[in-house]
Amino acid sequence: MSNQIIEGLYYSKSDEWLKVENGIGTLGITDYAQDQLGDIVYVEAVETGKVLKQGEPFTTIESVKAVSDMNAPASGEVIEVNEKLAEDTSALNSDPYGEGWVARIRLADESELKNLMSAADYAAYRKE
Amino acid sequence: MQLIFEKSVKGKQGYSLPRDRFSDIELSACLPDYAIGRKKELTEVSEVEVIRHFTRLSKLNYGLDDGFYPLGSCTMKYNPRINERLAGLSPFIHAHPLAPEETVQGSLELMYRLNRLLCEINAMDQFTMAPAAGAHGELTGSLVMRQYFRKRGEKRSKMLIPDSAHGTNPASAAMANFQVVEFRSNENGTVDLKQLAELMDEETVGLMLTNPNTVGLYDEGIVEIEKIIHGKGGLLYYDGANLNASLGIIRPGDAGFDVVHLNLHKTFSTPHGGGGPGAGVIGVKADLIPYLPTPLVAYDSKKETYYLKDNGQDSIGMVRAFWANFSVLLKTYAWILSMGPQGLYEASETSVINANYLLSQLKADYKPAYDRYCGHECTLTGREYRKYGVKTLDISKRIMDYGMHPPTIYFPHFAPYAEETLMIEPTESESKETLDAFIGIMRTIAKEARENPALLTEAPHDTPIRRTNDLLAARRPVLTYDDELKLKEQ
Amino acid sequence: MRYIPMTPQQKKGMLEAIGVDSFEALIESIPEAVRLKGALKIPPAMAESELEEHLLSLARKNRDGETKKPLIGAGCYRHFIPAAVRALLQREEFWTCYTPYQPELSQGTLQSIFEYQSYLSRLTGMEAVIPSIYDGASATAEAALMALRLTHKNRILVASLLHPHYRETLKTYLAPHGTEIVFLPFSGGLTEQEALERALDDRTAAVIIQNPNFLGGLEDLAKLSALIGEQALLISVTTESMSLGLLPAPGACGVDIAVGNTQSFGMDLDFGGPHNAYLGSRKKYLRQLPGRIVGETVDREGKRAFVMTLRAREQDIRREKATSNICTNHNLNVTAANIFLSLLGTEGLYETALLNTKLAHYLKGRLLSSGTFSEVYDCPFYNEFLLKVKGNPERLRQGLLDAGFIPPLALFELYPEEAFRDVWLFAVTEIFNRKSLDRVVQILSEGGTPCN
Repeated sequence: MSNQIIEGLYYSKSDEWLKVENGIGTLGITDYAQDQLGDIVYVEAVETGKVLKQGEPFTTIESVKAVSDMNAPASGEVIEVNEKLAEDTSALNSDPYGEGWVARIRLADESELKNLMSAADYAAYRKE
Repeated sequence: MQLIFEKSVKGKQGYSLPRDRFSDIELSACLPDYAIGRKKELTEVSEVEVIRHFTRLSKLNYGLDDGFYPLGSCTMKYNPRINERLAGLSPFIHAHPLAPEETVQGSLELMYRLNRLLCEINAMDQFTMAPAAGAHGELTGSLVMRQYFRKRGEKRSKMLIPDSAHGTNPASAAMANFQVVEFRSNENGTVDLKQLAELMDEETVGLMLTNPNTVGLYDEGIVEIEKIIHGKGGLLYYDGANLNASLGIIRPGDAGFDVVHLNLHKTFSTPHGGGGPGAGVIGVKADLIPYLPTPLVAYDSKKETYYLKDNGQDSIGMVRAFWANFSVLLKTYAWILSMGPQGLYEASETSVINANYLLSQLKADYKPAYDRYCGHECTLTGREYRKYGVKTLDISKRIMDYGMHPPTIYFPHFAPYAEETLMIEPTESESKETLDAFIGIMRTIAKEARENPALLTEAPHDTPIRRTNDLLAARRPVLTYDDELKLKEQ
Repeated sequence: MRYIPMTPQQKKGMLEAIGVDSFEALIESIPEAVRLKGALKIPPAMAESELEEHLLSLARKNRDGETKKPLIGAGCYRHFIPAAVRALLQREEFWTCYTPYQPELSQGTLQSIFEYQSYLSRLTGMEAVIPSIYDGASATAEAALMALRLTHKNRILVASLLHPHYRETLKTYLAPHGTEIVFLPFSGGLTEQEALERALDDRTAAVIIQNPNFLGGLEDLAKLSALIGEQALLISVTTESMSLGLLPAPGACGVDIAVGNTQSFGMDLDFGGPHNAYLGSRKKYLRQLPGRIVGETVDREGKRAFVMTLRAREQDIRREKATSNICTNHNLNVTAANIFLSLLGTEGLYETALLNTKLAHYLKGRLLSSGTFSEVYDCPFYNEFLLKVKGNPERLRQGLLDAGFIPPLALFELYPEEAFRDVWLFAVTEIFNRKSLDRVVQILSEGGTPCN
């Protein structure tokens, strides 16, 4: 089972990660999530301008054998979308924390970050 | 094998039409411009080539007449030839659904008589023949239950469904706009009565239950289940996919079920057709009859005729055009009459014995999900071969090399024991000789898994194609010949 | 019993191998209280010869089905089915097998479905086509649900000239979702365009139009599509898919989702079922399509192969979030339609559709000249049309029955409006020819034969 975890990121209970830099959040799914899903074939398109709410689903990720909702790890407006995923979803599996980023948002409320886990907490959470 | 598009040559002809094409009438005099389109490019192939093409295609398939086909909960039993012949009789196939009723009394009478037989077999009060498949029946049943509570002024929106349920159960409940409440089975593989009692309340429509369930176990708690659900004014829905374990033994109506769907293409021997058509007729207890789809077939004793009777304003309406999948009903009717009461009982008795025989002979090599006597199907697992790098999928593919169709794999799938499952339903149509051959094959494969796992992981070796790249198919959908051509251009 | 191979001897041996004394031990977990006492009260088993005799006697009560040519369609059309279709469908490898979950053992089924999807795509102008929903009515309902999901709106406009059973089914499927359904009126035998314009708003998910409509009239889909624009999805429904041989492809008219009953492609009337329907859409809506679809791929040796694909939409994976609950569909009917279209081919489909419309126009013209009927609408039609009976409808109807024809539909039964009293909905297909149509005219001109 694959379960790489990166320091310095925030993690949600539904296996999304969030990187915060100057009020901008980059988000994606964790290594554990991509491993569970198996080979990913499709990500439902996300539109820039869409307003996400922490904990609520905003897109779906489809593999050969499953479809999973992806929840927003934090609230905010989508300012950028990883267009490459529309053509080729393999990065979600091979590089979930890097090339496999899904979207960038302008964080609405940084105090929400307290609802997320640190790398250490997520590691403990996913060890169960 | 080549696609028919790759065999098409302009000028070849596979059809014939009479000479008189009404050349005295101009098309432009009949249709305005907006109604005339460009000619649609199909294919041009001669009749000879069409016959060869489809004959060759058919030989790429493994059919039920070829051998063992033990898919769990599919009930792949023998499709009697006489039923096919009778369903093909001219007066039946040429009956128009809107023809004057006096000219289709035979078809109407058959539907009426079938209703009576099914009511007796299942201890229900009235069936509707409308649903075209099991899932369609589940939707119809869900809508009937919804209507029942609406008419009583009760607001119920939740539906209880066990984790072992077939995916169509929650999907159908969702289509009726119910909130699906899934609950876990207990460690015996059956309904956890304590959990059920906690979850059942006056906001719940009821419970959808398959019995025996999808791991092939009769639920010993059935009497308590009925009390719990009815105790809070709910309804009990029976998913009849596994009825083949119960004919002449236990009737859903006697067990307290209010709504029952039957899969005629399973229990009642009608053919699977490569994925239908079947029929998912539903039966109800008397107080739910007003909500059934319209019309129902009735008998006028004064005029001595059968007719289609409107089911009144409380009916949920219609779930399809016209009345039923008639030819499927006919084959069901013929099968029931051929079996008689003793035959129906023997069908269930034999399928249960067959399944338990397989279980007893295979459990040493394939740990069962639940080690107890099963119903008409047994659920084994391929878990202990993981350590050789072998998945249950690999086991199923290797069975093909031995000339048999594999059982169902990875369904059902629920913790803690129903994982890496092989669900095997032999049905009553299989001889002991076939079962013994299957047992031999499975033991051989178990040995291969331990000694030469590559034989399994690279299986099948002897089929028309080897394992398919399903990832590619989903990532880059090529759904038509035109898609294929576009791809080639790139 | 000849369908159960087990002998009493073998039964004994197997029970021993299982380790029980009797069958009862295997079903101990069934509570006594709910066990059936005694035998089922159904007739004793019939021998094959007795069964045949019984079914033949029932068949005879259908009063010469074979010889009765139907002048009625209304969503179910009798066409000529070539013997090659029936012969090929007899092959057990097509009709006894299960859903093609194991592609290595079902390339026949899978390739056939792929070829049929390819035909449907060209016929409808839709890039992605689900080859099998149970029938046109349920497919129309599924299309509506798909439109609601795609647009997140809950209102649809539906032509009143959509087949009555399809309208009912739509209402039944949409009832739990509280969808507002507005039926669009018609005039002159066609859906009223002004009414559509007035009813259309930004809460509208879709507009559903049948073409040819239930009364046989030909709607101008391209015009309606232009009217609707981006405001809502246009769903077209056809109950007579043979018309696609002549009419423009729905996709070429701006239709977003196309539904069609394909019974005309090689399926018997069968008293109304089982038939089949397709549901196709633009590729961008692919993942919201309900039902099974086959895709092309390769096997591990690089050989072209076909598999069911995009399965994550379906009930066994997605469960309550599936695009539909549909599992078993009507695959054998798909095989029949595929063989049928392969035989007909490009020219055959076109020529048959052409012949159907000319036959229908010939009959209408001759009936109007006979004086027994008056015109109801003069709108364009394909192979179904309305005429009002000026003579005695009962006598005319009986005259047709006695001469071996199933009479047209008495429209008032399904559209109970005064204007439709004594109005008949005629349908004509290539099972008629000039001679038989002249005979029909003769019977109907003579005011029918007197009832015995």
